[in-house]
Amino acid sequence: MTDKPKENKLLEYWNAFATLVKRHPHVQYLIFGLVLVLFGYLSSVGVLPSYYNSVFAYIIIFTIVALGLNLLLGFSGLISLASSSFIGVGALGTGVFLNLGLPFEIAALLAIVSAAIIGSLIGLLSSKISGIYLAISTLFIAEILRQIFTSLEMFGGERLDIGTVELLGFLELSRNSRAQRFYLFAIMAIVMAVMMMVTYNIIKSRSGRAFMGISRSENSAAAMGISPLKYRVMAFTIATIFAAVAGVLYALYYQNAPTRQWGLLQSLTIIAIVVVGGFKSIYGMFLGAFIIHGLSELFLKELLGDVSYIFSGILLIVVILFYPKGVAHIWVDIRKLYYKFKYRNKEKDVIKDET
Amino acid sequence: MKHDDYVLKLDNVTMRFGGLTAVNGLSFSIKPKEIVGLIGPNGAGKTTIFNCVTQFYDTYEGAISFKNDEGSVNLKDHKVTEVIDLGIARTFQNIELVPDLSVLDNIMIGAHNTFKTGVVQHIFRTPKAKAEEKAIREKAVEALKFMHIDHLKDQFAGGQPYGVQKKIEIARTLMSNPKLIILDEPAAGLNDNETDELEALIHRIRDEYGASILLIEHDMGFVMEICDRVCAINFGQFLAMDTPKKIQNHPDVQEAYLGKEE
Repeated sequence: MTDKPKENKLLEYWNAFATLVKRHPHVQYLIFGLVLVLFGYLSSVGVLPSYYNSVFAYIIIFTIVALGLNLLLGFSGLISLASSSFIGVGALGTGVFLNLGLPFEIAALLAIVSAAIIGSLIGLLSSKISGIYLAISTLFIAEILRQIFTSLEMFGGERLDIGTVELLGFLELSRNSRAQRFYLFAIMAIVMAVMMMVTYNIIKSRSGRAFMGISRSENSAAAMGISPLKYRVMAFTIATIFAAVAGVLYALYYQNAPTRQWGLLQSLTIIAIVVVGGFKSIYGMFLGAFIIHGLSELFLKELLGDVSYIFSGILLIVVILFYPKGVAHIWVDIRKLYYKFKYRNKEKDVIKDET
Repeated sequence: MKHDDYVLKLDNVTMRFGGLTAVNGLSFSIKPKEIVGLIGPNGAGKTTIFNCVTQFYDTYEGAISFKNDEGSVNLKDHKVTEVIDLGIARTFQNIELVPDLSVLDNIMIGAHNTFKTGVVQHIFRTPKAKAEEKAIREKAVEALKFMHIDHLKDQFAGGQPYGVQKKIEIARTLMSNPKLIILDEPAAGLNDNETDELEALIHRIRDEYGASILLIEHDMGFVMEICDRVCAINFGQFLAMDTPKKIQNHPDVQEAYLGKEE
């Protein structure tokens, strides 16, 4: 009996914390990022296998791109088959500008800005064409970018070596040291959390509502002063900025940038992540990236070897069949079950009281 | 009230789609705080007129002028997305809401043009952006209370019954402080109770928001009850514009609806 007040106090703290988290989704994203950092720490000190780090780094990259693509697919009803190419622009661009001798931050900024310019041009294009035609045009843009990556000499042919990265002018981080690799991973996890917050801020604002307005009913959007052209350009620009940020993180973490990887196949993977994770969901993007990329890399490959792709394909179909709204929707179902359970117990209690 | 005092004035407006003349030399005007009904058989060109006024069609001939507090403007000089800034808000014949946004968020879209902050400020949640969002949220709740649907504010708009969706659309028009509200068949698909409620609401919108209202409606009982004046058209031609009573007895209007007596 003596420790009951203490327990109550703990419960009180917990409740205060829970309401804080509930009220401020930003805190949730930060906690999510910190949990990932902890995860990276565990795998860097050897509690978890060290290759987990590298797989999760890729999941983080995919999550950020998918967040951007979700603004197009889920919110604005636009499609892009070039999202992978913009990771390439971010990664290779950072590499090229670094090799010119610029500091990392400037190089990253320049890479993101160049991607954003190309993205806004696609946005302008999307005012004239839509649906499958837009998809095909972005496919061609992706192909053009891929050709540029592989044939221009400044991108180094097969791959562009970047090497040790110097942050803020004094913090030198190399992926060859285990401890420093963990710092790189931590930076990525925090950037992902920030990008989740940015996404949340956009979709919960006038701009987010405008994105949904132009995709759900363009006429009424126009009647309310929402210019479809402006918001299409904005959606494409933001999506490419997200992809370019992911590319910068790729350059930062892997410290080299291949040139052949940024093609249609990876773009389709990212679309699959958005579909599996759930349109309009933020955590869903991480879940989707984990299911599409993480599961096969972490478990299936080890168990099944090369045929693991067959199983990830089957998994994809199963998810689409049973969770067409995305895996993020599982949470809703779990909560429903919980309330059902709770309600049923209460009902029993009531009946007991009466008897 | 001066004789030439108007909010909206159509002057000899003609709209052609290829060989088809949907609206032919139509002229009429709406006075401030007036409720005007636009009636006519199917295909008479009523919605076409609405689309000309709101600049969805910008290839019409003739002039449509609109008078707000800053003076008179020719609507043709403005793009479709600028019309709401002048003070014209509209609803649609087929409900045009965002089904997967909450009722409240749908209403807030109606205030899109009144926002001063842009996407960069939204991304960083600057104090100004936050304050603006909050003010508009409160205004949206007010509009919902006005329409008696504030208890539904957090539900998805897509799942609401037809009558509620119609109300959401009307509430949305109130967000931009309009001088003129254009309602395309507001009573279509409503039951008698809902129609009566809508009647009272439209009168209250006129009185409390000080807006003129132009509406298309096929429910003649509703039109006769609610409108100060009624404009009847047929095959894009002007038939008559007068008080509801006189329109009912107008021979041209009767002919358009019932056919000619042999």
